[in-house]
Amino acid sequence: MDFRSQLAAELPHLRRFSRALVGDAALADDLVQDCLERAMLKSHLYDPARPLRAWLYAVLRNLFISGLRRDRRSAVVKTVDDLTGGEGSVAANQEERLSVALIAEALDRLPHDQREVIVLVALEDMSYRDAAEITGVPIGTVMSRLSRARAALQRILEDRGHTVLRRVK
Amino acid sequence: MKTIETWALHAYADGELDGADRLAIGELLAHDEAARTMLAEIERQKQALKAAYDPVLREPLPPSLAAVLRHRGSRAALPYAAMAAGLALLIAGGSGGWFMAQQTGSAAAAGIADLAIGAHEVYTVEVRHPVEVAATEKDHLQAWLSKRVGTAFAIPDLSDQGYTLLGGRLLAAGELPAAQLMYEDAGKKRITIFLTANPGQAKAALRVEEKGGLVACYWLDGPLGFAIAGEMDRTRMMQLARVVYERFEG
Repeated sequence: MDFRSQLAAELPHLRRFSRALVGDAALADDLVQDCLERAMLKSHLYDPARPLRAWLYAVLRNLFISGLRRDRRSAVVKTVDDLTGGEGSVAANQEERLSVALIAEALDRLPHDQREVIVLVALEDMSYRDAAEITGVPIGTVMSRLSRARAALQRILEDRGHTVLRRVK
Repeated sequence: MKTIETWALHAYADGELDGADRLAIGELLAHDEAARTMLAEIERQKQALKAAYDPVLREPLPPSLAAVLRHRGSRAALPYAAMAAGLALLIAGGSGGWFMAQQTGSAAAAGIADLAIGAHEVYTVEVRHPVEVAATEKDHLQAWLSKRVGTAFAIPDLSDQGYTLLGGRLLAAGELPAAQLMYEDAGKKRITIFLTANPGQAKAALRVEEKGGLVACYWLDGPLGFAIAGEMDRTRMMQLARVVYERFEG
């Protein structure tokens, strides 16, 4: 399989990772597009002995970080549609959409370094070692960030869960 | 729970533990209610994350992403064997070696093919403004583009091939000016010819490249690099490329 076909095979996962990392569906796909272009340009840097997916995640994550540094001042206005993936979302019923929006919002409130780690490990099933390589920190740091991210996510979801419940009643 | 146990519990949930470590957590879970609650919360979060984002895996790909893989690949990504095969086919099929097979310039030529395909993709779908200067001003178009590209050339007439000139436009090929000529057949199918300066005068034999439904033939010859792109089968495109080549040789 040539490199381009391998990239194509990774696209669904790359999009899911990007969506969970970025939040906004359109921005996430823009990032995937930048990532593909960069990956094709820098394909000689890819070590075929390593999983392609982890390498792509690192490329995408680094593009995202450098973008964050660049547009620190520009804020993106998010709507519930953005958070749930808008019309592209498959989440069918109201309840499901609500929980999707809840998770997206909760992730949004995590500090970025915690968010990327929990997304990589808990959603994308990356090993701690891969997560450490992708984010460029030691494994111990991955573990402590993960632990903090999980505690924070639990608090946020509990708070928001109660609020939503009250609103529904 | 001690911090170390908390971390170990995360590692257990994430499949990072095996052997004795895994057994130890199994024991911890057996007698520690707080550990069980925490593990359940970790699992619940994982499920919630997957429930929220797994639908993305099943969404249809946006066309923009599919297009990146189709049209803007780096040449390094393509197996050289495929290029060599295309070349061999051409040499075998060509009469009297009308193109010399040379390695020099092949990278530059390949770059031209990518640019030509990209430009074809962008402009042929335009309904109202496919060209910058229409065929009604052919002489002006020819003089203008020749001047910008830096070499005088005659816009080939392809009407005997079933293609009518629509016109052309000035484009960039990296830092160099490039010209795109657009033709249309009776069925409104469009082909484009892409020309740019070939500063080193490197020679490259005609090659064929296919991306998605598009076929492009490209070559370097003297002061110019050429590519022709369109949606048609490979054989027909190579015939057309040969005609175009001969008309530019004029």
